[in-house]
Amino acid sequence: MRKWLFFAPLAIFLGVSVFLFTGLFSDPWTRDSALLNRPLPAFDLPDLMQPEQRWNRELLTGEPFLLSVWGVWCPTCKAQLGFMTELKEQGVKVVGLYYPLPVDPAFGDHFSLGQLQRDVQRELAYFGNPYQFNILDENRRLSLDLGVSGSPETFLVDANGKIRMHHVGDINPRVWRQKFEPAFEQLQQVGLAYQGAQP
Amino acid sequence: MSRLSALLLLLCSLTLWAGQEILPFEDDAKRQLYQELVQQLRCPQCQNQNIADSNAVVSIDMRNKTYELVQQGHSKQEVIEFMVDRYGNFVHYSPPLNPLTLLLWVLPILLLVLMLWYMLRRRQTVQTAKASNPALEQELDAIIDAYRSKK
Repeated sequence: MRKWLFFAPLAIFLGVSVFLFTGLFSDPWTRDSALLNRPLPAFDLPDLMQPEQRWNRELLTGEPFLLSVWGVWCPTCKAQLGFMTELKEQGVKVVGLYYPLPVDPAFGDHFSLGQLQRDVQRELAYFGNPYQFNILDENRRLSLDLGVSGSPETFLVDANGKIRMHHVGDINPRVWRQKFEPAFEQLQQVGLAYQGAQP
Repeated sequence: MSRLSALLLLLCSLTLWAGQEILPFEDDAKRQLYQELVQQLRCPQCQNQNIADSNAVVSIDMRNKTYELVQQGHSKQEVIEFMVDRYGNFVHYSPPLNPLTLLLWVLPILLLVLMLWYMLRRRQTVQTAKASNPALEQELDAIIDAYRSKK
């Protein structure tokens, strides 16, 4: 008993050291989304470029795709556009969910769709356009339902409209290779097999 | 004089107004519930701030949603569930008791029990040591008495 007690402080010290040391390399941002393996929330939102066209959950199902939350006000979102355009050329369907900043009328701000469309067109022409289309998330309602805390964030949605993966931060070659690519290819194969099975 | 009035004007700058939110509530209970909720809900964007303190876009949206839900007459638990459903347990400052958080809740109680157990055991061993040798005990008492009376 005495001997055991003699080593107790050393053991506690080592335990705490290991705990704190691993903490140095852990990322406080990596949290699993609460929506993993749940269907996309229901929504009814306009297209950013053609506001008369409206999108909903049912229109998005059928093939796996990336839902990318972004905005022209966010530098990291623009930085990832180039690589995501490459992904599009490889056959990855990318849908944009445009995350507008809040406007405060008290400060004389007002929302202008025309101005926003021009800004988006200019940035996409400059950095590359990976998006099949963009959904304008008015009042950020869908983003709230998706548990989005900022941008860029990316969701991998399968052909049935279920959320399979969530990533906070930019999509770069490393993240794509390590995190998304295996899951995406698997989802695509499942989808192809499913289509092949149908007469 | 004009410099002084310019300085005084600085006191009524717009930024002072920016922090204030004037939200109309039907009754004080709802106002209180809203205040309580925005204090207890955690901003998912900032690492350790509640949504009342944070001005991140997501906090503004969450405050608006909280206001909306409170105005619709939802209870405190319902609003918390709404947020946890979307942002996970991270969003509430008091984590629920589940297998993952069991250690967090049980460890303090466990430590307290261990400490009490250790203290009681120590006292017992001292007492049993005392009782186990009455002859020595008497002898020692006699020595102590002798020492005291000398003084």
